[in-house]
Amino acid sequence: MALWGMVIDLDRCTGCQACVMACKAENNVPAVGAREASRGRTISWMQVLTEETEERLRFLPRPCLQCDDPPCTKVCPVYATYRNPEGIVAQVYARCIGCRFCMAACPYNAKYFNWYRYQKEAPGQNPDVSVRTKGVVEKCTFCHHRLQKARERAGVEKRELGPGEYVTACAEACPARAIVFGDLSDPRSEVARLARSPRAFRLLEELGTKPKVVYLAERESDGRA
Amino acid sequence: MSELQSVSDRTVRAIQWGMGGAIVLFIGGIVIWILHLIRTAWRLTDVPSASIGISLVAIPVFLILLAVVLYVFWGLLGDRSAR
Amino acid sequence: MPDATFEQDAALFAPIERTGRAFYWTVGALLLLILWGAIAYWVQFDEGLGVTGLHQPVSWGFYVTNFVFFIGISHAGTLISAILRLSKAEWRRPITRMAEVITVMVLFIGAAQILVDLGRPDRMLNIIRYGRYQSPLLWDATSISAYLTASTLYLYLPLIPDVAILRDRPGKRRLLYTVLALGWRGTERQREVLNRAIAIMAVLVIPIAVSVHTVVSFVFSMTIQPMWHSTIFGPYFVAGAIFSGIAAIIVAMAIIRRVYHLQDYLKPIHFRYLGHLLLVMTLLWFYLTFAEYLTGFYGNEPEEMKVFWSKFTGPFWPFFWGMVLFNLVVPLACLVRLGRHAVGRTVTASVSVVIGMWLERFNIVVPTLSNPRLPFPEGQYWPTWIEGAETAGSFALFILFYVLFVKLFPIISIWEIREGRETGLKEVEERLLSYLPGRSAPAPPGVGGREGHERAPIRL
Repeated sequence: MALWGMVIDLDRCTGCQACVMACKAENNVPAVGAREASRGRTISWMQVLTEETEERLRFLPRPCLQCDDPPCTKVCPVYATYRNPEGIVAQVYARCIGCRFCMAACPYNAKYFNWYRYQKEAPGQNPDVSVRTKGVVEKCTFCHHRLQKARERAGVEKRELGPGEYVTACAEACPARAIVFGDLSDPRSEVARLARSPRAFRLLEELGTKPKVVYLAERESDGRA
Repeated sequence: MSELQSVSDRTVRAIQWGMGGAIVLFIGGIVIWILHLIRTAWRLTDVPSASIGISLVAIPVFLILLAVVLYVFWGLLGDRSAR
Repeated sequence: MPDATFEQDAALFAPIERTGRAFYWTVGALLLLILWGAIAYWVQFDEGLGVTGLHQPVSWGFYVTNFVFFIGISHAGTLISAILRLSKAEWRRPITRMAEVITVMVLFIGAAQILVDLGRPDRMLNIIRYGRYQSPLLWDATSISAYLTASTLYLYLPLIPDVAILRDRPGKRRLLYTVLALGWRGTERQREVLNRAIAIMAVLVIPIAVSVHTVVSFVFSMTIQPMWHSTIFGPYFVAGAIFSGIAAIIVAMAIIRRVYHLQDYLKPIHFRYLGHLLLVMTLLWFYLTFAEYLTGFYGNEPEEMKVFWSKFTGPFWPFFWGMVLFNLVVPLACLVRLGRHAVGRTVTASVSVVIGMWLERFNIVVPTLSNPRLPFPEGQYWPTWIEGAETAGSFALFILFYVLFVKLFPIISIWEIREGRETGLKEVEERLLSYLPGRSAPAPPGVGGREGHERAPIRL
């Protein structure tokens, strides 16, 4: 069984936010408008955070970290978010009651809420991804619809899913190729290889969330923050 | 102003029976609900231990409450010596 | 057939039998506030939670604060009623029902706050159909249902003899009182049944109440957020709940005493004793708060200290130091020496505590969310008129429920007052003598042989 994960090389990331735009387009993430954005309600499944220390400024593209021990799924009262067997933390919009407990529990602030009905169904959206109503929580799903499509195609052609057939929009779009996506459980995949790099670290690892997005620090000695 | 018994005994009894029935349905419903939650957790292979642990305390508490209510209803309404 | 005792307690029947203009004005004003709140909620239901001041990362604000606050107030009834009944404190007699009514009414309002907070309230049945017991919100749902059921029962059982008194008096609402009196005639067997049931409930309701606010605290402490993930939260919330509950009772007592002219029943001594309890709870609350913050400060963990300083000196300093003022300074100043102003000082302290405890809940919910671990773009949470209107409407709804109860049922337990007059003195004397050397234990209670249901006491 696959274990989908991602490696983001911070040495390559230029902060261009192509990943953010690709994600928005792929997943019908609404543009909330300037007024809502100024009130702090931007929805950005992939968000580029800037982390500043005395030594350096760093861009941190932060999708949902797809934790293996997710604090958000523990607290959902209605099974609207759960970790599926392949490691993706799913979000069921039709079940969500909008209590926002998962938002309060996520230490990475990876979950977003539809404070208004930010968009209706319209032409030009990605038909593979549902358009969310007001009052529900949403987050990055590692472009799970792409996995479903790739699996269907492979099934029709009666073969296994090949490496590189399922890749997230952000990984695909990054011009610096800073984002690598794949199956962490396959030891020969590039993701698994990079995740074993001495530069690898996980965000807020001490919390025990076991995130599956691994970051590669700029220098070997700069293991964490 | 003295009032005759303007309220028929049967109406009163009917409403009281209704109250008793409603409470049985309410608490019984909660117990069934808790059991339903355990069953759902089991079927979805979520962590059923939380459900079972809580139900071990919650269901007896609700049943005691129901028992107290029925005891009071029976003890007060069933007391023929008062009539 | 009126007799001497009827006349003696006429003041207790007055709110039920006479409706003055003040009643209608009050209800009218409350309905206006409730309407304002309802309109605010309608706007929110229609457009979405965006009409509030909530945003990322502060996705919980006024509504969750109100939820914790109101559920906290609900501990009023338990403490006074159950614990004082069990410890046979005679001074509880005029207070128990008032306290029990607070509990029942405020639980509805508290539970409603969570429903108001939902993004999809039309899906609230999902909690019933697909509830996950691993989630602290389900623990809340179960615990609060148990508490609501138990406290309603605990309010109703001692109400039965009073309802029977009302049933037998000439007056309105005969059907209501006859139905609710459950055929009460004060016979030996009925008294025994009721005694036993009340005693069981008094014991049962205490652990249920403790579980309620513990479980509410678990909503926060079961996450891994800084200054939420704290082991002290369970006891801290329960202590805070009892604290705010006692304050709420004192405020209710003072208002009822003034509005219904019950100075004879709610005497300064009652305020004095509750004031002492309030003082103890002030110190206990301070002790737990001090332990919580000292632990955080001494550990000096960066994430926790960010939240810590945002409360002490950062954007939340008015709320934090306001809380300290209202929860510690003012109550201490008022309660340490009550002197001859027992009523005035305890009421001042209580109003202060009610405000301070609301601030305390706010200080728990919002600063942690405002200081995320990752360098997230932050914003300051400012509530909008929607949240203010909803809060005001909720308070008004609670008060309206209370006022309606006072209109229908005696707010001071008539039979318990009479029991106190008739048998309380002797019982206390016997008990006191039994503590002293050279005397045997007092005769067991419940000795039969009295006629007439209104004169016959219920012993606990």
